[in-house]
Amino acid sequence: MLAKETQKQQELTGRDQWIVFQRLLKYLAPHKKMLILALGLLILTVLGDVLGPLLIKIFIDDYLTPGSFPTGPIIGLAGAYLFIQTSNVIISYFQLLKFQEVALKIIQQLRIDAFAKVHGLGMRYFDQTPAGGIVSRVTNDTEAIKEMFVTVLIGFIQSTFLIVGVYIAMFFLNIRLALITLLLLPILGWIIYLYRKYSSVFYQDLRERLGQLNAKLSESIQGMGMIQAFGQETRLKDEFNKINDKHWQAGKRNIKIDGLLLRPAIDLVYALALIMLLSYFGITSFSNTVEVGVIYAFVTYIDRFFEPINQVMQRLSIFQQAIVAASRVFLLLDEQEKAPRQFGTAGEITNGEIEFRNVSFSYDGNKEVLKNISFKAKPGQTIALVGHTGSGKSSIINLLLRFYEFEKGEILIDGNSVKEYETDELRRKMGLVLQDPFLFYGTIASNIRLYDQTLTNDEVRKASEFVQANPFIEALPQGYNQQVTERGSTFSSGQRQLVAFARTMATDPKILVLDEATANIDTETEVAIQASLERMRRGRTTIAIAHRLSTIQDADLILVLHNGEIVEQGTHQQLLYQRGLYHKMYLLQNGIVE
Amino acid sequence: MKVFWELGWFFKERKKQYTLGILLLLMVAFLGVLPPRIIGFVVDRISEGSLTPEYLATWLAILAGAALVMYVLRYIWRLLIFGSSIILARNLRAQLFQHFTQMSPAFYQKRRVGDLMAHATNDLQAVQQTAGAGVLTLVDSIATGGFVIAAMALTIDWKLTLIVLLPMPLMAYMTNYYGKLMHERFHGAQQAFSGLNDKTQESISGMKVIKTFGQEQQDIDDFKSLSERVVEENIRVARVDSLFDPTISAIIGICYFLAIGFGCYFVVNGEMTIGDLVAFTAYLGLLVWPMLAFGWLFNIVERGRASYDRIQALLAEPVDIDDREDAIDEEPSGDLVFSIEQFNFTGDERAALKDVHFTVKQGETLGIAGKTGSGKSAILRLLLREFDDYKGSILFGGIAIDSYKMQRLRQAIGYVPQDHFLFSTSIAGNIAFAQPNAGLREIQEAASLAHIHEDIENFTEGYETMVGERGVSLSGGQKQRISIARALLKEPELLILDDSLSAVDAKTEEAILQSLKTTRSGKTTIITSHRLSAIQHAHQILVMDKGTIAEIGSHEELMKKKGHYYEMYELQRLEALVEQGGEL
Repeated sequence: MLAKETQKQQELTGRDQWIVFQRLLKYLAPHKKMLILALGLLILTVLGDVLGPLLIKIFIDDYLTPGSFPTGPIIGLAGAYLFIQTSNVIISYFQLLKFQEVALKIIQQLRIDAFAKVHGLGMRYFDQTPAGGIVSRVTNDTEAIKEMFVTVLIGFIQSTFLIVGVYIAMFFLNIRLALITLLLLPILGWIIYLYRKYSSVFYQDLRERLGQLNAKLSESIQGMGMIQAFGQETRLKDEFNKINDKHWQAGKRNIKIDGLLLRPAIDLVYALALIMLLSYFGITSFSNTVEVGVIYAFVTYIDRFFEPINQVMQRLSIFQQAIVAASRVFLLLDEQEKAPRQFGTAGEITNGEIEFRNVSFSYDGNKEVLKNISFKAKPGQTIALVGHTGSGKSSIINLLLRFYEFEKGEILIDGNSVKEYETDELRRKMGLVLQDPFLFYGTIASNIRLYDQTLTNDEVRKASEFVQANPFIEALPQGYNQQVTERGSTFSSGQRQLVAFARTMATDPKILVLDEATANIDTETEVAIQASLERMRRGRTTIAIAHRLSTIQDADLILVLHNGEIVEQGTHQQLLYQRGLYHKMYLLQNGIVE
Repeated sequence: MKVFWELGWFFKERKKQYTLGILLLLMVAFLGVLPPRIIGFVVDRISEGSLTPEYLATWLAILAGAALVMYVLRYIWRLLIFGSSIILARNLRAQLFQHFTQMSPAFYQKRRVGDLMAHATNDLQAVQQTAGAGVLTLVDSIATGGFVIAAMALTIDWKLTLIVLLPMPLMAYMTNYYGKLMHERFHGAQQAFSGLNDKTQESISGMKVIKTFGQEQQDIDDFKSLSERVVEENIRVARVDSLFDPTISAIIGICYFLAIGFGCYFVVNGEMTIGDLVAFTAYLGLLVWPMLAFGWLFNIVERGRASYDRIQALLAEPVDIDDREDAIDEEPSGDLVFSIEQFNFTGDERAALKDVHFTVKQGETLGIAGKTGSGKSAILRLLLREFDDYKGSILFGGIAIDSYKMQRLRQAIGYVPQDHFLFSTSIAGNIAFAQPNAGLREIQEAASLAHIHEDIENFTEGYETMVGERGVSLSGGQKQRISIARALLKEPELLILDDSLSAVDAKTEEAILQSLKTTRSGKTTIITSHRLSAIQHAHQILVMDKGTIAEIGSHEELMKKKGHYYEMYELQRLEALVEQGGEL
C-alpha cells in the first residue's frame, strides 16, 4: 500500500500539483476577513519599506547635494522617516502573526477533516492500510502543509507585494530605468524554474533515501535480537551502508544543485542588476545630470528586492514536500471505502433475536470467506462459533456488527434487516468484547465510561461489580482514578479484559458479541473471567467465538465452521457424540490421544 | 565552541577540504566588499560630473569579474564544506549502526527504539549542521563582518563606522534571546503535537472499540479540542517568531538613520563624499547577514554540542559481550550441560535463576514448563549468551559457551522467539534470513516443515509476498510459523522454541511437533511452552518455579511423581472427564 503510494507521489505531474495547490487554497476561504486584514497590514508595511528610501532620496537630492539644511523640513523628514520605520515594525509584527494564525487554523481544519474522515471509513480500509500510515496523514503530512503556509506561502505573498511595491517606486522615480530592470524578472523566473525542475527531483530522491535509511535503521534496532541470534550483523551492516551511501550521494547532488542555482546564482543576478544600474546612470551622466539620491534609492530598492527572493527559493523544497503531503491527505479525504450505510427505517431492538439467512461474503470480491451461512439465535440464547483461524468465525461477527457491507443473503435482528437500523441503535444494543481488550490513555473510570458522560460514578461502579472487576480496581492505589498508560500496558491481560467487560456492561446491551474474549487470559484470571462472562450472558442473546472449547460447553448451539461453511452444529454433547470435526478439535485441545 | 574542538579529528581528516573551503570563503568575503565600494566610486564621479566611459567600463568589468569569480567560489566552498559535513553524518551513522550490532539485548532493554532513532536522526542532523552551517557561519560572520567593517572604517570613515555599529550587537543579542524563547515555546508546541499524534494513533488502533460503542463523534470532538491546543501552542511560538523580522528591520532602520544623519554631517564638513555615503549604506546592508549569523551560530553550536555529546555517550557504551581473545573458532556440537548457581538480571535483586542444573544429550528434546517469570526464558537467554554475568557454567560439547566465538555459537543455534519479529522483505527473504543464498526449494521445504507452505502459496504473490508495514498483514500464528521456518532452514545443532507455538492451533502444533521429530534426529531441541501438549513428548521435561527447577524427568516419570506437573496435567484430564460426563 505504502509502496503504491510512493509511486503515486512520483507521478504527480505539474498539473496534479497545481490542482492540489488550488484545493489547498480553498481552505483559505473561511478566513477571508482575517486574510484581508493581514493583507491590508502587509500593504502598509510594503508601503513603509518603499517610502523609507524615497525619503532619504529627497533628503540627499534636495538638501544634502545643495548643502542647505533648513531646520523645519529636515526635522519633518527625519520625523517622517522615524514614524514610518516605527509603525512599520509594529504593523509587520501583527501582519506576520495574523498570517501564521490563519495558517494554523487552516491546518487545524484540515486535520479535523482528515480525522473525521477516518472515522467514517469502513473497517476494510483499516485492514488494507497500516495504522502508521493513517496517523502520518493526519498529523505529519498536515504538519508539512503547515510549514508551507507559514514559510512559503506567506513569504511568497510578502515577496510579491514587496516586488510590486519596489517596481512602483522605481517607475515613479525613473520609468526608463525601471523598464530596464524589468529584464531581471525573466532571468529570475528562469532560475526559479530551473531550480524547481531539478531540485524537486533531487530533493524528492533525498527524502526517499532518508526514509529508507530510517526505516532500515529502526527495523534493525527492533530486530537486533534476531539479527544477532542468526549472526547476520555483517550482512545487515553492508545493506545499511549501501543505503547510507546512496543517501549521501543524493545529499551531494542536492548540495550541487543548491550551490548552482540558489544563493550564489541569485547573488550573481544581483551583481548584474548593479551593473545595469551603474551603466545606466553612468551613461546618462555623460549627457545629463543625475541625481545621486535616485541612485541611492535604486541601489537600496534592488537590495531589498533580492532578499525575499533568496528566502522563498530556499524554501521551495518545503513547498514541494507540502504538495506531496497534501496530495496524500487529499487521497485520504477522497477515500471511497465508506463505512456501510444504514437506512434507519427500523425502530428499536427489543428482543435481540438474530438470524443469518444464506449469507455469503468476500473481503476482496474473489475468495468467499463465508458461504451460505444460516442460523438463528432466539432471544437469550448463546450461540458459539468454533473453527480454525480463517474458518470465517470473525467474519460472521464483522457482518453482524456492520463493520463490513455484505451483498448476498440477509442478517435479521428482531425480524428486520440489520441494514435498516440506525447505527446508534445497533451500537447501543450490541456489545462487543474483543480478544485484545483495548484500553485508552486515561483512567480506569474513563475507560469504562468512554465518552458517555451521562454515566454516573455509581453506574460505572455497578458495571464493574457486575463483571467482578471491582475487587481488583478497588485494590489499585487510586481506585477508579488509576492512570491507564498507553494501551493499558501496566495491567495484566485479564485485568484489561475485566475493564473491557465493565465497559460493555455499562451500556447494558441486548446482544452480546464475544470475539475470543478469553483467548489471551492467563489461567489465574480465567476463573474470574468465566464467572463474569456467565453473568453477562444471562438474559442476553450472545454470539461467542471461542478459542478454548471449554469456555462454550454450555452454549445453546455450537456452530463448527470450516472454510466459511457450517460443517457441524449442535450442543456440546451432541457434537461430541457426532465424533466429527468438533470432537477431533476437542480431543486435540485436551491432549487426549485415542 | 567546544564542539569544534571535539570534532577536531574530523576536521583533521578532511584537512584539505576544510582549509581550501575556508580559504575560498575568505576570498568570497573579501570580494563581497567590492560592489558597494565600486558604487561609491561611480557615484562620486557622477556627482562631480567627472565620470569617463573608460572609468565606468573598468569598474563595471571589475564588478562583473568579481561577481563571476564569487559565483564559482561559492559553489566550490559549498561542495567542500557542506560536502564534508554530509560525509561526517554518513560516517557517524555507519559507526552508530556498527555499534548497535554489537550491543547486547540488555542494552536494548534499557533503551527505547525511539531514543536510539533520535540519536541517529536528529542528533546526527545537528552534528552535520555544526560541521557544515556551523563552520560556515563562524567563518563567514567573522570574515564578512570583519572585511566589511574594515572596508567601512578604512576606506570610508572609522568614526561613522563606530557610531553606526553601536546598535548592531543589540541585534545579535535580541535574535539570540528570541531564539531561546522560541526554543522553549517550540517545546510546548512539540508536546501538543505529539499529544495529537498519540491521540490519532490510539484512535486508529482502537477504531473497532470506538465503532462498537458508536462514539465516533465524541472522539472527533476530543480530537478537535486537542488540535485547538496545538493551535494555541503554535500561536505562542508565532508570537516570538513574528518578532524576528520586525526587530531586525527596526535595528537596521536605526543604523541607516544614524548613517545618513551623521554621514551628512561628515559630508557637509567635507570629511566624506556623497559616494562614500552611498557606499557606506550599501555596506550596512552587507552587515545584516553576519550579525544574524552570529546569533544563529550560538544556537547551531549549542545544539551540535549537546547532540554530539549524546552520540559520543552512545558510542562509548561498552560492548558487554564480546569474543574472548582465544575464542574457539568452531561450531559447538554435543551435549549441553547447564549448571547455574545463580543469575540475576541487571538491577534486579531477586535471582532469576538459582541452582538450575540439567544436561541435554545431543539429539534429545528438552521441554520446559512453568508460569511466566518462572525462569523459562532466562534459561534460553543464557544459552543464547545474551548475558555473561552468572555464577556457574554452561557447557556445549564439553566447552563453556563463552569460550566459543559468538558467531560460531550462534551458528549452532536456531532460535524462535516468543515475540516473532519479521523483517519488511518478502516471505522468502524472511525465511532465508540466515541463509540469503538459499534456493526456493530449500525455503519451501523449511516452510513445509513449519506448516506454513500452504498459507504462503495462497497469497497472491506466494513466497515473494512482502511482509510488514508495506506488505500483507499476517496473523500471529502465521508469523510464528514463518519464524519457525526461518530457524529450521538453518538446520541448527540446537533448536530453541521459546513458547513459539502459542498462536498456532492444536492441530497445527501437533503437526509441527511431528515434523520436528522426524527431521531433527540426532539434533538437540529445546521447547518452552505454556501448553503441556507441546512438550509432553520431550525426552526430558523441566518444570520451573520461581527461578529454580521444581521437577525434572520424562512425562512418565513426572506423572509418577505426582507433583506439580502431574497436577497440571491431571487438571486438564479432569476437565476433560467432567466435560464428557465421565466417560472416556
